[in-house]
Amino acid sequence: MAREWTFRRIAPPRGVWRYVAALAIIILSTLVAETIYRTFETDRLSMVFLAGVLVTAVTLGQGPAYFGAAAAFIIYDIYLVEPRFEFTMTSAEDFLVLIVFLAVAMLTGRLAGRVREAQSSAEARARTAGALFRASEEFSASDNEDAVRQALAERIAEAGRGQAVVLYDGRSWSAPPGLSPPEALSDLAGRPVDGGATVREAGWRLRHLRADGAVLGLAVWRLTPTDGRMADNPADDERLVDVLVDMAGAAIARSRLAEEQAEAEARARTEQLRNALLSSISHDLRTPLAAILASATSLREFGDRFDAEVREDLTLTIQEEAERLNRFVGNLLNMTKLESGALTIEGVSFGVAEVVGRVVQRVRRRAGARELVSHFTPDDLAALGDPILTEQALANIVENAVRFAPNGGRIDILGRRDAGRVVIDVIDQGPGVPDDELRMIFEKFYRSPATSTNQQGTGLGLSITRGLVEAMGGEVSARGRGDGRPGLVVSVTLPGAQA
Amino acid sequence: MSTVLAHLLLVDDEQQILRVLKPALAAAGYAVATAETGHEAMSYLAGEACDVVILDLGLPDMDGKEVISRIREWSETPILVLSARDLEHEKIAALDLGADDFINKPFAVGELLARIRAALRGRERRFSTHAVFKSGDLEVNFATRRVTLQGYEVRLTPREYDLLKALARYGGRVVTHRQLIAAVWGPATQVDAQFVRVLVAQLRQKIEEEPSAPLILLTEPGVGYRLTPEDEV
Repeated sequence: MAREWTFRRIAPPRGVWRYVAALAIIILSTLVAETIYRTFETDRLSMVFLAGVLVTAVTLGQGPAYFGAAAAFIIYDIYLVEPRFEFTMTSAEDFLVLIVFLAVAMLTGRLAGRVREAQSSAEARARTAGALFRASEEFSASDNEDAVRQALAERIAEAGRGQAVVLYDGRSWSAPPGLSPPEALSDLAGRPVDGGATVREAGWRLRHLRADGAVLGLAVWRLTPTDGRMADNPADDERLVDVLVDMAGAAIARSRLAEEQAEAEARARTEQLRNALLSSISHDLRTPLAAILASATSLREFGDRFDAEVREDLTLTIQEEAERLNRFVGNLLNMTKLESGALTIEGVSFGVAEVVGRVVQRVRRRAGARELVSHFTPDDLAALGDPILTEQALANIVENAVRFAPNGGRIDILGRRDAGRVVIDVIDQGPGVPDDELRMIFEKFYRSPATSTNQQGTGLGLSITRGLVEAMGGEVSARGRGDGRPGLVVSVTLPGAQA
Repeated sequence: MSTVLAHLLLVDDEQQILRVLKPALAAAGYAVATAETGHEAMSYLAGEACDVVILDLGLPDMDGKEVISRIREWSETPILVLSARDLEHEKIAALDLGADDFINKPFAVGELLARIRAALRGRERRFSTHAVFKSGDLEVNFATRRVTLQGYEVRLTPREYDLLKALARYGGRVVTHRQLIAAVWGPATQVDAQFVRVLVAQLRQKIEEEPSAPLILLTEPGVGYRLTPEDEV
């Protein structure tokens, strides 16, 4: 009867080895008992078998424990109880042994089972908490949504000890890297699934990343089948992945919001700049016009009352201010052309010294007591590009230098050859530009807050220079003088040409 | 040219403007002092007598509007605002702070001289009340409340008369919408500028030869109105 009952318990095929192990332990107990029997010639060996049952119960769980108890009883009965090598159930003592074995198996097995369960669920909880913690850390640290998707794939793979792929917009992020999901699942990537529910297919599971009703990606994963001993609840892993996916969805939505906010701020800044430009243009156009109009009307009204010197001065004002307007309008036109891509560049070989000479001529009249010095190595330095646009680009830099340089200061223009390219440095003795603003001075409308208070200017000049130089395949940069003195070095690099 | 008509202080940081206006204003009979910053202007005014200040709103050291309010703390000297800014609210703010008039850059010298004369007249008016205002064919007698055009009497409603009187009191200087509303409807009244426009249109029908191209009652867009004074028509 006991046998039948015991074998019914073997029924679940999974974990058969546990029963084999139980049998092995009991057989081991038998061997120990045999050794003791031979050595000490005692037949009071039920304790050895009891120890075997105890070990079985502690290590293998309840089912194998009962099985072990039954096996131990049978072997004990056949092997030690008189008549030996024959199964008999005659004395009350036999029954007592059987009952004690079974009771020990039951109590210990149940106790050990609880301890094991508690331990394995604690492990699972720790793993879950760890995965969630790392995920939330990674999600909140990444400000771009692709990084969130990559982190999600890695965390799912880690949490479920399996493989995971996140799909979005024709791209995929996977852990381990290079993994691709079954095609049938990739096809689902673009399709919304009602309620964000998990869909199962061929061992893979999938769930959409969603936030605010928008589908932000598809997570596809396959977890390693859980082994018999560490029987985690698969539903737990699934819930964990669901939480991870939802967290990632929220993180992506948040990063998108942050991006939108940054864009809105950029738009507001552009708007601000545009207004500043408008008022600046209004000022820069009106001031020369005001001087021209006032001069012309004064000459008409009081021409005969002015002496020759004043008349000459007023006509000179008209000429100079008209030239200034012309430069300003020219710069605005260049800017417009650069922005619309209408500027055509003729790449010809030209002498740098000649172009710089024209720039110096143009600027010298406004330079006042500032000294302009140019030097070239070699003398016949030649660059490839458009000489007229180069002149405009350099004139803007030199005018800028003149505007900020103190009276009596010196502006050096150096041309040199550097690895087949031509570099033109414009070095001034002005207040310079803080390092963190050096890149921004070539931005349109940018005027350094430190120096612009009492300087007129549109903030267009250097941005036009950059546009022109880049259109010719060159580049511009700015840096400090590097000799400890205040001042700015603006460098134009152009493709070199054979002289 | 032996007598100086008035002492002017020209405040502008644009060299080219100073270079032109100094000889022009001198040729017109004015003694001209110049200042390039707000502080320079105020220290000049603290020490020297001056009849009109011509002030550019865009100064390097401080906002032109602040210069106005600081001058107004202790001086009633007429201030004529000169600015390249075409922002109406800047002009209105300047006028509210106590500027007497403005002129937009660019301007003809004749226009500037007319504004200077109007500013000087406004200063005189503080001391003597003229009974009669004339502008071309238009004559307003404040004592008898009679308005005539080419000698013929023009019948005005009380509001139209109040409007004309308010404009005439400023004698060629700009009068803001708010100042006109205070003069016609009362200082505490909240009236839309639209009412002023309607009233001006009515008045133009009666005093202008061509109401759509007014010569006497001129509009300063976004700011207010001015009457062409007697000597400018």
